[in-house]
Amino acid sequence: MDLLLTLVSAALLASAIRLTIPILLAALGAVFSERGGVVNIGLEGMMIMGTFWGAAVTHFVAQAFPGVAAVAPDLAPLVGMLAAMGMGILFALLHALITITFRVDQIISGVTINLLAAGLARFLNIIFFRVATQSPGIRGFTAIDIPLLDRIPGLAPLVTGTSPVIPAAIILVLIGQWVLRRTRFGLRLRAVGEHPLAADTLGVNVVMMRYMGVLISGALAGLAGGYLAIEQGRGYLEGMTQGRGFIALAAMIFGNWWPLGALGASALFGYFDAFSLRVVNLRVPYQFITVLPHIATILVLAGFVRRAQMPAADGIPYSKEEE
Amino acid sequence: MRSSARFALLQAAALGLAILFGALAGSVILLAIDQNPLYVYPLMVRFNLARIDSIVAIFYRATPLLLAGLATALAFRANLFNIGVEGQYYVGAVAAAFVGFTVAGLPRLVHLPLTILAGVLAGMLWALLPIVLKLRRGAHEVITTIMMNAIAGALVLYLLEPGLLRDPAQAGTPRVRTPDILPSALMPLLHSALRAIGLEIPSSSRLNWFLPLGIALCVFFYWVLRRWRFGFEVRAVAHNPSAAEAAGISTQRVQFYTFLLSGGVAGLVGLSDTLAFFGYFDIDFPKGYGFLGISIALLAKNNPLGVVAAALFIAFLDRGAQGVQVFAGAPREVITILQGLIILAIVVGYELLTRYIRAQRKREAQVAPPLAPALAATGEGGE
Repeated sequence: MDLLLTLVSAALLASAIRLTIPILLAALGAVFSERGGVVNIGLEGMMIMGTFWGAAVTHFVAQAFPGVAAVAPDLAPLVGMLAAMGMGILFALLHALITITFRVDQIISGVTINLLAAGLARFLNIIFFRVATQSPGIRGFTAIDIPLLDRIPGLAPLVTGTSPVIPAAIILVLIGQWVLRRTRFGLRLRAVGEHPLAADTLGVNVVMMRYMGVLISGALAGLAGGYLAIEQGRGYLEGMTQGRGFIALAAMIFGNWWPLGALGASALFGYFDAFSLRVVNLRVPYQFITVLPHIATILVLAGFVRRAQMPAADGIPYSKEEE
Repeated sequence: MRSSARFALLQAAALGLAILFGALAGSVILLAIDQNPLYVYPLMVRFNLARIDSIVAIFYRATPLLLAGLATALAFRANLFNIGVEGQYYVGAVAAAFVGFTVAGLPRLVHLPLTILAGVLAGMLWALLPIVLKLRRGAHEVITTIMMNAIAGALVLYLLEPGLLRDPAQAGTPRVRTPDILPSALMPLLHSALRAIGLEIPSSSRLNWFLPLGIALCVFFYWVLRRWRFGFEVRAVAHNPSAAEAAGISTQRVQFYTFLLSGGVAGLVGLSDTLAFFGYFDIDFPKGYGFLGISIALLAKNNPLGVVAAALFIAFLDRGAQGVQVFAGAPREVITILQGLIILAIVVGYELLTRYIRAQRKREAQVAPPLAPALAATGEGGE
């Protein structure tokens, strides 16, 4: 009974929601990249850039304009989030250039980007803050109460005093789902990921669409990193992404390459995450719970849960000249 | 074959250009932080080559790297992407440590090989699930091996919990580690062998027999891939799977065994540190060799002999980074970034080169028949 209460306690659920958001944002990015046919293993690196730049820019803006910070405390974190997004886009541009323009293997490019981002974050942190692994503490967004929802008695602990990024992320997922399902852009992106040659014949600019998919994924991975550093960590700490870029790929697969599916999967993974932090007094070792998302992903990929339906041309470079 | 010599030369040129590009980009970074590249790079080379302790450190560092590079390259050769080397060597190191401290009373001649075998088998075991799921259920090995890495990391932490493999003698201290591995399972160092051929290396060095073993494995697999029937099958499968199948080669069988071999070699990666440096497995065990192994395989174009050179090159940069940090006061991460940029440049360079060579071959093939001029003209650019 005690255990059951813990499982649905408001504190646990609130923590689960907080842990869901970074996975969710990156997974949404992964959906856009892979729907266009480009595998983005570099999400982790783009997230790392997001964590570092998010924290660093927030810190510097708050320091440079203390007057503004007093009047509009949300300005610095906002600029920080934008910077995190921008740096995610920059690294995504690198990935797009290497994989779409030069048609190098997408996995190779992604792995290298991860190595590069980890080294760069350390280097920049030393240059800016004189230590390798940590930025100064920063102030995040002012917590908000979500209007209307906060009137529902049971929900109150979940929707009051939350980060504004949380509802924003959920809205982004809904927009993403609509864009992919209903808009011309979404249809074209999916066409390019399913059958680039056919899309090309019909006049869709394959290269441009694929660039867009990858750049969107970079922006969202950057945001995910920014959220981690600004809202959750209140500063940058080396390794704070903890492989969430990879978990996001898992959530994308689990969610069958759809934004709403990724939301469900991320929520599940976030819940596991929150739960694993709270089972100290249980007899189950916490490590077993932390690996549940990974095991679940392997099962899905192997088709034991249901058939994974990846875009047909996912991971295959496209070139007009060959074949 | 005149053209093949020319292509080899072009490949070397691409490698040189990529390193030059990395060095130039590194220079920009160095200039940005008020360091003079013309001072830093020579300092790095001098620090690395003029000191015996540096040279020994480079070879020590290269030991796990060349094994990781070999493991990745083997899988690549059969068109398989083993991102799981990272996890495979964690479990390999724990398994070896376990056999190393539990099995008592054996002579070194039996105990040490048994310990190494435990590492190899554990690495293979960790590679087994991804390859079986790929071949039987179509699960892409990139994602499954990434997941297996995370599971390996958690498993290792779990095994180091009290009551399992954690050393009870360390209770009450913050040390999270296994008991000491018995002397009979430790890898001998290279000092006496090197002394026999007139080389004296610093006594603090932990350079050990995994280095010659690793190099021997690279040479061995080079030979296997070149001369053995199995090596021929691997090449056939990688080059043209459907033609290989038509010739009676089972793609599945070849991929299965190659991936297990890759996992087995990966199981060795962590052993130089475990059995010759620490003498136990602990929570701060060195991580990341698996990912560096991917870089090394890429630099080497998956050639096992090239892997040795590429591992030494990466180790050279790593050691140089320490020299740069201590003597020039530039953060060593400059060199990490430089490594990343060189690898990116080299993969792009190789890709462009491969495409160029393919185009050249096509043109030569089209030039050959009598009606050459007309065909060559129409063949340009199209198809």
